[in-house]
Amino acid sequence: MSEGPKVLLSTLMVLGAQSPERALAIDELASKLGMRVPDLQAELDRVTKAGYAVMTRQGGRVKVYLTATGVITASSAYS
Amino acid sequence: MLCWEYPPRIIGGLARHVEGLSEALASLGHEVHVITLDFPGAPYEEHEGSLYVHRVPVSVPAPSFHSWVLLFNHFFEKRAGQLAHEFGPPDILHIHDWLTVPAGVAAKHLLRCPVVMTFHSTEASRSSNSPSTESAMVEGLEWWGSFEAARVIAVSGWMKSEVVSIFKIPPEKAVDIPNAVDPLKFEGAADNQATRRRWGVEDGDRLITAVGRLTAQKGFDDLIRAYPLIKKSVPASRLLLVGDGYMRTELERLAEQLHVRDSTTFAGFVSDAELVAALRSSDVVVVPSRFEPFGIIALEAMAAGAPLVVSRVGGLAEIVEDSVDGIKVEPNNPSAIAVATVSVLSDREFAARLATRGEEKAKSYSWENVAKKTLSVYQEAARGTRYE
Repeated sequence: MSEGPKVLLSTLMVLGAQSPERALAIDELASKLGMRVPDLQAELDRVTKAGYAVMTRQGGRVKVYLTATGVITASSAYS
Repeated sequence: MLCWEYPPRIIGGLARHVEGLSEALASLGHEVHVITLDFPGAPYEEHEGSLYVHRVPVSVPAPSFHSWVLLFNHFFEKRAGQLAHEFGPPDILHIHDWLTVPAGVAAKHLLRCPVVMTFHSTEASRSSNSPSTESAMVEGLEWWGSFEAARVIAVSGWMKSEVVSIFKIPPEKAVDIPNAVDPLKFEGAADNQATRRRWGVEDGDRLITAVGRLTAQKGFDDLIRAYPLIKKSVPASRLLLVGDGYMRTELERLAEQLHVRDSTTFAGFVSDAELVAALRSSDVVVVPSRFEPFGIIALEAMAAGAPLVVSRVGGLAEIVEDSVDGIKVEPNNPSAIAVATVSVLSDREFAARLATRGEEKAKSYSWENVAKKTLSVYQEAARGTRYE
């Protein structure tokens, strides 16, 4: 994982996005990270493919949350 | 017991330690409450015999990892307070690493009970090459914990020396209690062929396994650099890396550059059963860490009957007796890793001898012993604490 996904996974963890109920909207996350939505989307595609996160559509918005593997990977950067 | 990781949330050896210790304390008849973080799919509350696990959700978002740690400590503190009302105040609070120091210290003064702190690692070792303001905070919390604790436990003799020297605590305040392993969890007739096929190991291939977080500390890049050298002597082989982490892409790229990507399997995180099967079906397990306060994977490999090659660092150097129950090599040295690994793979009798002695040694590291030693530390802590 490069620095980009490391920051992304860590951000999702500290914001509490580790269940469908607490999934974060992508536009909201992009604004918190100071990223453009298309750039974030590309980053999310990578971490989703790696099994670290899940994207879901809720109430017409695309949202994202960490998987169990994503939580452990995010934490492993600090252990 | 306060800790940020507890199975199934397993980041490193800390989770295994708290699990083994808590279960052993409970089986000795003590009531143990573990307060830890919630985890996807795990229940908030678990209870078996006198062992209670309380998984706490952190329902307030934080702007960074370090402020999140301070935040989840508030939630731990609240849970400790609730449990004190429900079950009565604890006789001892046991905190693990810097991550639970704020909650532990607050609970000590609010509930008026002594604190014991276990060091599984120190920030000085982890961040030796990259000091930062965050590191300064972590080191400050480590010092605070060691100061407030009535007794300090370190997971190896090396770790104890580090803690005494860095935090200037009296040597008699600290004790080293090594980690342990439950040999029963590593027994059983694994279907080696099925396991090996699942990892891409072809018939006749020798399997070289390494397990851990894919971080710089673990030295997996050195093992990948060693692998082309190993393949020169043992061409029919496969390298299996179990675990995940922020270096995965970099390590995959390195394996590609060295033309060993096709014979290297990145397994990611695996279940406990898969880990046991992987260890049991390995021809050699390599632990190439650059630093390792204890290195519980070495004990697990021994318990699984796998011959072992380890770096001569920290707790690993204490666990393994060179050429008796494993081979020790200098860290940061791919050539040394290659030579040692080939010596195991090319001499089956030698490998079997190392494995047999390793299995015997693993049996002497029991969680019951750890629990008994820890209980005597608790008793000393309870006798020695003053609140005035």
